[in-house]
Amino acid sequence: MNHHPPRRAIQFLRWFCKEDFVEEIEGNLLEIYELRLDQKPKWSSIWFFWQVLLHFRPDFIKPNPIMDFFSSGLFKHHLLISYRSFLRNKRSFFINWIGLASGLTCVLLIYLWVADEWKYDRFHLQNDQLYRVLQNRTTSSGIKTRELTPILLAPALKEEVAGIEEAVAVSSPEESPRGVLKSEDKSIISQGIFASSAFFQLFNFPLINGTTEQVLQRKEGIVISRSLAENLFSSVSNVVGRTIEWNNQLFSVTGVFKDVTKYSSLQFEFVMTTARMVELDEYAGKWNGDYARTYIQLNKPDHTGKIEQTISPFLSNNEANRERSKLILQNYSDQYLYGQFEEGVQSGGRIAYVRLFTITALFILLIACFNFMNLSTAQAGLKMKEIGVKKTMGAQKKTLIGQFLIESLLMSFLSLILAIGLILIFVPYFNEITGKSVGLRDISLINVLAIIGIVGMTGLLAGSYPAFYLSRFQPKAVLSGDWSSATGGAWMRKGLVVLQFSLSVLFMVGVFVINGQLNYIQNKHLGFDRENVIQINRARYKGDYQTFLQEIKEVPGVLSVANMATPILAGGSGQSGYSWRGQEEDKKFLFKSPIISYNVIETLDMELLAGRAFSAEQGDDEQQVVINEAARQMMGLEDPIGMQIDYGDDTREIIGVVNDFHYGSIHLSVEPLIFRFYPRGSRAIVRLQAGKEKETLAALEEAYKEHHPPYPFNYRFLDEEYQRLHESETRVARLSTYFTGLAILISTLGILGLAMFMVEQKSKEIGVRKVLGASEWNIIQLMGSTFTGLIIFGVIIALPLSYWGAQRWLSQFAFHMDLQWWLFLLAALITIGIATLAIVIQIWKAVQLSPAACLRDE
Amino acid sequence: MKSSLGEFEELVLLTVASQHDTAYGVSIKESLEKELGKTLNISAIHVTLKRMTDKGYVNPRFGGITQDRGGRRKKYYVITAFGKQMLDKQFEIRNSLYQKIPNISFN
Repeated sequence: MNHHPPRRAIQFLRWFCKEDFVEEIEGNLLEIYELRLDQKPKWSSIWFFWQVLLHFRPDFIKPNPIMDFFSSGLFKHHLLISYRSFLRNKRSFFINWIGLASGLTCVLLIYLWVADEWKYDRFHLQNDQLYRVLQNRTTSSGIKTRELTPILLAPALKEEVAGIEEAVAVSSPEESPRGVLKSEDKSIISQGIFASSAFFQLFNFPLINGTTEQVLQRKEGIVISRSLAENLFSSVSNVVGRTIEWNNQLFSVTGVFKDVTKYSSLQFEFVMTTARMVELDEYAGKWNGDYARTYIQLNKPDHTGKIEQTISPFLSNNEANRERSKLILQNYSDQYLYGQFEEGVQSGGRIAYVRLFTITALFILLIACFNFMNLSTAQAGLKMKEIGVKKTMGAQKKTLIGQFLIESLLMSFLSLILAIGLILIFVPYFNEITGKSVGLRDISLINVLAIIGIVGMTGLLAGSYPAFYLSRFQPKAVLSGDWSSATGGAWMRKGLVVLQFSLSVLFMVGVFVINGQLNYIQNKHLGFDRENVIQINRARYKGDYQTFLQEIKEVPGVLSVANMATPILAGGSGQSGYSWRGQEEDKKFLFKSPIISYNVIETLDMELLAGRAFSAEQGDDEQQVVINEAARQMMGLEDPIGMQIDYGDDTREIIGVVNDFHYGSIHLSVEPLIFRFYPRGSRAIVRLQAGKEKETLAALEEAYKEHHPPYPFNYRFLDEEYQRLHESETRVARLSTYFTGLAILISTLGILGLAMFMVEQKSKEIGVRKVLGASEWNIIQLMGSTFTGLIIFGVIIALPLSYWGAQRWLSQFAFHMDLQWWLFLLAALITIGIATLAIVIQIWKAVQLSPAACLRDE
Repeated sequence: MKSSLGEFEELVLLTVASQHDTAYGVSIKESLEKELGKTLNISAIHVTLKRMTDKGYVNPRFGGITQDRGGRRKKYYVITAFGKQMLDKQFEIRNSLYQKIPNISFN
């Protein structure tokens, strides 16, 4: 017979099934398997497996310890005992429950966040073969890594380098098409990209209409997103072949793709061909212009090293000016989390926050677990008689361990239920802070298993110490009242308290430093005045821009108007190739070179150190430049005004020097910068009179609409833009504030529980002391000092550690605040203060009782 | 153990009784499928047989080794006196209840 039933299935059956039934079941299964094979042979192996699996039930499974345990009376007994002990110690039960639940909430929220972070850019089909090509440039201030390369690089790489399956060029963010798309009757502002023809083959952006090979073949083709199709044509089905106007040119729709997921670093609503891009800007098609991002797909992922070597000198071989450029590869999916490069080597990025939060979550969970351990071991006295009796009756050590582990597992599953409730409540706030949209619905089967794993581990972790510790006692010692040999382990409790408070202080210093730095960033003088300045992004239109600018200058409430070509906070636009007299030979420098028009320096209120700003009266034009102080120093010029510098074959005259100002995010240091001139930049910046912003904006909108029908009035305040640059720090600051609050709360709950317990144990001592004449204050001092000592010790351990951590975090900013000693003192005082208060209140309550109340039982 | 007889158990027990001494898993499955007009899972029959064995309604015995079924023996089931008694009791209850139905016309 050809068709044997799957051997593994039979092996599995023999493995789990009781001896008495194996032969019967196996025989019957074989018989009907063969019968079935004659009728419908499809899926017969899977069917057989399924039939075997149907027998995997307690009726037929061999006796085993796991099943025995759960079906035994012992399990029920453990549950009952746990339930009774929860009832008996309600307060410590609630402390444990709330503590563990908040710890778990924290861990689960962070888990959702981290899982979400890891999703970015990983949805492409050949994910492990996708790489992006980056350019390392050696400059006077070290190696700089940038993602931009010439458009010509992609086709050349594909052609000349073996092992590269496909290569695609995608326009740089600045050169990408944006603006108004018009169909016959509708127009919409949209953001797109130029991409070469294999774009949809390389990346997994599924097409609804069109084929991946065809859609980007024709020069005038445009591929649009589903929602764009719906907005422009009110339909998705029959849009192929219809016409769209952009920038006074006509395009024909060749395909529709599904909207790009938020998990993509490339965000776009339409795609045009790079052939078109070259047509629009002739420099784009040359080797000396970095207009594109280049992505490649390798034949095999493990060839990376070899290919990186081959392509490394590729640019310098093709273009004379590029002898300092080397190409490197980075995994496509690494770009989101590992976006930062230092000296040409991948150095981190968002992954730092992912790590930071993962560690935070673990620490918070650890603090909650410590509470559990502390309270359980502290209550050992209460349980000792029970254990002694059980042991005398013949209970084995492992049974007792089982009991305590069950108790802690039960506890952690109860906490999980509470935690899920808390997550449901807090997830909207969490999403608001993190800017994500995670939720319990994101939890897949694997996540559920992971969470059950986390919870189980928590239970085991929290319960293991008490379980092994409590089950160790000698019954004779316990029952004969010899407590001293049994109440060891106090050092362990003390150690855990110390650790808890060390961690709390660490967290708090972290929060202070992060918030302090944010404050510093927000109040830092940038070298220009960013308050009350708006930036208007102009849609492309035919009329004379200068008239519009003139007109809005007359609007009441407008103090000053100027225009420029690059956004002031973008921070990009490096350009080399300047040289000047007296310069050392063969040194090329990279200058930031934003392009501005008249009046920008005045409008932004930058400080002129020498010379003048671009002025219409003096007839300044493209032949003049203004430099910053850093550039003057780097060039080593005493009096640069009037000097000629060479730019390619042209020369430019330096007419002014402005004081250094911050260009872009404050992570960046101030670099040498040259202002170039161009009168028709499409970004207007307008300084408004303080206090009259609302009316002025309304008037501006009217003027704008008159000149730019039918486009909407788009403006942004410069200071808000600036804040947006530091968004991730802001988010981290808010999140860490909450987490720290939680950590301190849980630690305090723990110490509260311990204090309560101690007071209970020592109520007789308190009574006797009072009778003998001790004052309330005496007793508080006496009892409180044990704990306060521990807390202070923990704080002292944490301070140097937190100083070191804060230093490291701050060093990633080019400009950062100074670490002040009082900041550490404050964190220490707050921690000690809160904890001491909790302890003192507990003792105070006990002291208030009349001695008769606690002494009367004996 | 309280003796009880579920609906499916009753069906299987009736089949065992009717195929006296030749009833085994597959034969019971096939005859029941024919009677009921639906497919059954062999695992359900196995479980039922096991539980009825535990309750003492049927007794299993192994057949001889044959070339069929790759040399695996069949396990035959025979109804016990107790099992027969249960069937009788069940039949009586049903019968007496059925007799009590008045003549109803459904027009």
